[in-house]
Formats: sequence, structure tokens, C-alpha cells
Amino acid sequence: MKKECIAMLLAGGQGSRLYALTSRTAKPIIPFGGKYRIIDFPLSNCANCGIDVVGVLTQYQPLQLNSYIGSGQPWDLDIARGGVYILPPYQSAGSKGEWFSGTANAIYQNISFVDMWEPEYVLILSGDHIYKMDYSDMLEQHKAHGADCSIAVIRVPFEDAPRFGIMTTDDEGYIHKFSEKPREPDSDLASMGIYIFTWQKLKHYLIEDEKDPQSEKDFGKNIIPSMLSQGEKLWAYSFEGYWRDVGTIESLWESNMDMLSPTLIDLYDRSWPIRSRSPIRPPHYVGANAAIHHSIITEGCEIYGSVSNSVLSNSVSVGEGTVVNYSILMPGCKIGKNAVIEYTIIGENAVIGDGARVGSPPNGRTDILITTCGPDSIVDENARVEAGAMVY
Amino acid sequence: MPDLHGLIYAYHSSPSLGDLVEPRTSASLPFCSRYRLIDFALSSMTNAGVRDVGVIMQHDYQSLLDHIGSGKDWDLSRLSGGLRLLPPFGMRDSRFGEFRGCLEALAAVKTYIINIKQSHIVLFRGDLAVNIDLKAVFEAHLNSGCAITAVCSENAAKSVGDIFFVRETPDTAKQLLFAAPTGMDALASTEVYIITKDLLIDLIEWSNANNKKHFHRDALSHYLQEGGTIGLYCHRGYISHISTVTDYYNANLDMLNQEYRNDLFSADSPIYTKGRSSVSSYYGEDSSVNNSLVADGCYIEGELTNCVLFRGVRVRKGAKLKNCVIMQDCIVGDSASLSYVISDKYTVFSNGLVLSGSRALPITVPKCRII
Repeated sequence: MKKECIAMLLAGGQGSRLYALTSRTAKPIIPFGGKYRIIDFPLSNCANCGIDVVGVLTQYQPLQLNSYIGSGQPWDLDIARGGVYILPPYQSAGSKGEWFSGTANAIYQNISFVDMWEPEYVLILSGDHIYKMDYSDMLEQHKAHGADCSIAVIRVPFEDAPRFGIMTTDDEGYIHKFSEKPREPDSDLASMGIYIFTWQKLKHYLIEDEKDPQSEKDFGKNIIPSMLSQGEKLWAYSFEGYWRDVGTIESLWESNMDMLSPTLIDLYDRSWPIRSRSPIRPPHYVGANAAIHHSIITEGCEIYGSVSNSVLSNSVSVGEGTVVNYSILMPGCKIGKNAVIEYTIIGENAVIGDGARVGSPPNGRTDILITTCGPDSIVDENARVEAGAMVY
Repeated sequence: MPDLHGLIYAYHSSPSLGDLVEPRTSASLPFCSRYRLIDFALSSMTNAGVRDVGVIMQHDYQSLLDHIGSGKDWDLSRLSGGLRLLPPFGMRDSRFGEFRGCLEALAAVKTYIINIKQSHIVLFRGDLAVNIDLKAVFEAHLNSGCAITAVCSENAAKSVGDIFFVRETPDTAKQLLFAAPTGMDALASTEVYIITKDLLIDLIEWSNANNKKHFHRDALSHYLQEGGTIGLYCHRGYISHISTVTDYYNANLDMLNQEYRNDLFSADSPIYTKGRSSVSSYYGEDSSVNNSLVADGCYIEGELTNCVLFRGVRVRKGAKLKNCVIMQDCIVGDSASLSYVISDKYTVFSNGLVLSGSRALPITVPKCRII
């Protein structure tokens, strides 16, 4: 069946910088912003702009990811002529099968999947970014420029540029140079890790790259530089709006805090809904002595204490006399009575005992130390968990 | 899979619900922030493993159809069987106006009943807020050997004609029910029954022959007079039969009580409903909220006390809501003050508006108004 453009979503990485939070689950399904999981953002973006074939490349801890995606129904991707496909590494005749050894290798191993749809273009996405984006606009630009590859870029402060892949372009957006994490950047246009390739070109470079034993089989490190050096047409697609990479504990915490400000990203906008698979739970209940300020609360929560500047996923309970401040409470976690939770991320189904003190405010320090309690972890009654510690 | 088929009465719009049933039937009344009443009948059945369910409807069923769709939210969208919607069938003697009783409604779908594969049928009202363990009811039904078992409750509203008394029998599995003489304080039926298909067809045929309409008053009385026996199952948990505005208001506010809420929305037998993918709710810097239930997608900047809010409600700065039930996507303007108000969907309350009802007489505001 022919499709003009299909999406391939890279969801197999370990997310090792999230430590305890990804010890048993893949990063793309880390709970986010109360109602969501990270992967809801690229999946909803695809559905909203009419891309109805999404291959999800999985490798690290895929079980929960697989069951979360299921038939794709929550994103309206359970369709007969297309839909969402989970693509794990596999064996085939003549090869004993291999793990995906890099982002480019993951697509290389699935060339036959892409070919099934005979697409003109392939959109490459990753499962660890928070943003709302209309890929069809990027595709229009790609076609108008007759590009071989388009890379979505966003302006970042010059001092942050060394953390990103940086594009140097002319005024129109034609890419002259790409530098992966440059020490002395000459541009502030950072790659968002979102690419549109003309499929036949990409296929050619994937096959060539596979023959190079020195290659790390990575889009940023190998495919893009090699296309540039061979004079292919690479264009930047400039994106304005909210975009965050949530690969670390700090960025995950900060980005969740951003969700409290609708001026940064409007999740209430019904013309571009971000959809999620969520359990059917009763409405959240707020008790007679509870107080909630500047916070996000989700269905199934039972709040008896005081919650401020925090993001609560579904089915979280907060006991009487407890104070939760600047924290992220993931689905099903239970906070006892008279506890204090500050600047902390609490994983799914973790239990915090009565009177426990977890984390503390920065108190004038410029670096904020985020405390983490991993999924299913237990903090005993009256225990003290220091700022920046990790319980798992 | 139990040898049990579900039938839900969803044709009725109780006139005492006034404006609340103007755009819908009682069974599709929004309830407790995110549910519709029919969710209780459907979920009780699904949780007991019933996989074939017929829903009897007659008019004003657009909102009901929109809600239940293919039945997928209750896992009732199946290749064979599953959910079957039973709208009225244009017969030569088709009657105008509402079915005059359950028996008339059942008679209208007689062909469907005759073709049911299962030997037992659970009859369930669509306007109950109750989570009944139908697996246990079915077990009691089979053990008693009775052709019909009534689900009774001490908490059910007592109306004329559905009062039973229990006659002690030596065999506890065989507690039997009899129609209570008027004036006697006895156990009320929830009007949920498990009945054998054969008996149900007999009763429908008898009622057709005798021009009777009421399942309880006519058919069951006749059945008892003929020497039939009715088995008993006593439901101990929360129940509300919602037929008036006051019933509706009280049942919603009952959900602020943790015990009632946990009973109705038990984790072991969840109540399923149509999913609406929305964002979580946000509470602003100056919000104040206590003893309230709030669904997802709300944006609260004002004060809530003893309220039940449905999805997507906006409460602007300085607005004060007390003892209110506010349905989906309403907007309460700056400094508006509402107490004892039930508002239907999409209504806008202007800035500074003051509207007060009372516990005995809550104010009902219809859908899509600007006040």
C-alpha cells in the first residue's frame, strides 16, 4: 500500500540518565505532565497531521511500551490501512539477528518495513521530546525545496549550543555545516532530532553507512555528515514554540514544571489535542482540609494534604497534613500523612510513609538538586531522604 | 462465560428530571464528573463476564448512541454478539408515546429475546447508580433453582408496587420473596432481575394476551399468584434510583462521601465509561477547594466547596461555587457566585452573577445557555 510519508519513531534507547526511573521501563513511556507519557507527544502530532503509519522501534525494556501502545486506539491510529507498528529487532534467514546498534542501524534493519509502504518521504522521530508540531508543514517545505533531508531546528541560547547538534545555514535555511556538540558554536540553531528524508536517498546512505566498520550507525554522527560531504541538499526547518529534550532527571523535572504555565505550551488547545491511554478512574477528590495551588491534578487522585507547584498523575494519594511542593508524583504513588515532599520526582506506585521528609528546596543555591524515588520504591515512616538522593 | 444475557432499559426519560432529560434519556444522564448512568448497568454486566447485551431504547437516544458507540469502552464491540442497540421497530400497531411499562418495552423486542442464545437474562434499569456483583447474583439464582431472582436492597427507594417481603425458609440459599401487603415496611426491589429466558417469554406472551404493561405490578403478581417463587439476592452497597432532580442532586453529592464513592467505584469491579482524552486539571495560584470532586480538563482559579465538576469546566478568578453540580465545559465567570446549582453542559455564567438555590430545591440550568 502506498503512502506519501510514514513516520519511524525511535523508542529503543535506554534513557540511562534517568537512572531509577528507566530501570524497568523504556524512556518513551515515562509519565509526563499529569495525564501523559512522553511518547504521546510524537504519536499525537502524527495523528493530528494525518501521518497514519507509525513504526515504533523498540529494544530496551519494551514490554510496558508495547502494552501502552497496543492497537494505537487512543491516538486514533487503529486503522485498517495503516496504523502503529511495534518494530523490535528480529532474525531472518541467513542472519542470526542483531540488536539495533544505533539510530541509523535501527532504520536500516527495517528497510523492508518502510518499503512495504512505498513512501516518497520518511519522517524520523524520537520518543523523548516534549513539543507540539505540525509535521505536514515541514513536509511541504521539504518538497518545495526539493530537499534530500530536512532537519527541524530550534534557536537555543549560545551558551547552551555546545549540548546540541548545531546547524550552520544561509539566510534561506540551506545547511552548510553540521557540528555535533561543538565547543565553539558558530550558530544557535540546534537540531531537534526530527528529520524528513526523501526515502530513496536515505535508503542509499543507510546501506552505504552499514558497510563502514568505523561508523557508529547514528543519524547525527554519521548519516547527516556523510550526506553533507557528498553535496546532498539539506535544509533546516525552523520551529518556533515549546520543545524540550527530557533525557535527564533535571530536564524531566523542569519540563514538567513548564506544564504549569500554559503560556509555554497550551495543552488545552482542542485543535491540536495530545492524547494518551489513561485508565478509567473516578474524578479526583479534594478533601475538606486540602489546599491546592498552581498544580496539575489528574483523575483518581485523593488529596487530603497541601499541594503546590506540582504535577500529579492519576491515582495518586496525598495524606492529611502532608506538604507537596515543586514535585512530580507519577501514577499510583501513595504519600502518607504529615510527610514533606519537596523538589522530588516520585515514580509509579512508590509508597512514602507517614512523617517522611523527602528532598529539600535549593535554599539560595543556584543548582537545584532533584530527589528521585524510583517506581515501586518504599520510603519508611519518618525517614529522611536528602536532596539529590535516589531511592530505588 | 456465564450463560447469561443482558438487557438494559434505556428508553425512559423521567419527567421529574425536567430540563436534565430534555436533551436525553435518564440512562444517558451525566453523573459524578465523568460517567453516564448507563455505565453502571453496562459495567456491572461486563464485570460479571456477560458479553452479549441488548439496550432497549425508544426516543431521544442521540446522546445515548453518542456515548455507547460500538460498545468498545466496555469491551462489548465483538465479532459475534456483544452490544446490540434495540431502537423501536416500526410495527403495524406501533404505538405513539413512551412504552407504558417495562413489559411493553420487552414485548417490543420479543423477537430479539426469542433469538437469545443464553438461557438466562439479566434485566437492568439504565437509570440506577449502583455497582451490582452480577456474578454473585447469578450464582444465587442458579443455586436457588428459582426461575427468577430479584436483586433487593434496604437502600432502594420504595415506590408503590415494588415492595417485597422475605419469607424465612430453612434453606438459606432459597430465601423467597413475596409481594408485601400495602403499608408493610419491607425490602424494596432494585428492579434488577435475573430470569430464565423461557419464563420471560411466557410472561411477555401472557401480558400480550391480557393487555398488561407492567413487569412488576402485573407480570410478577400474576407469577406469584400462580404459585411461582422468586429468589432473593440482597445488594448491600450504595444504590440510587435517579428519577427526580433531587435524586440526581443528592446522588452526585453522595459521591463526596468516601465510603459511597469507594463502594460505587470499587477497584475490583471498575465502572467503565467513554474515554475522552483530555488534559489534567489545573489549579491556579489563588484557587481554594475543599470537599469536591473534579474531573480532568478543568481550569480552576476560584473557590469550590462541596462541588462535583465534570470535564473541561473553567472557574475564573474570584468565582465561588458551593454545593454545585457543574457539567462538562461550563464556564463560571469572574466573581460569579453559585450555590445549589445544577448546570447542564456548555453553559456560561457571566462575571459577577449570583445564583442561589437550596438543598431542597436546587436550581437546574439547561444546556448551552448564557446567563
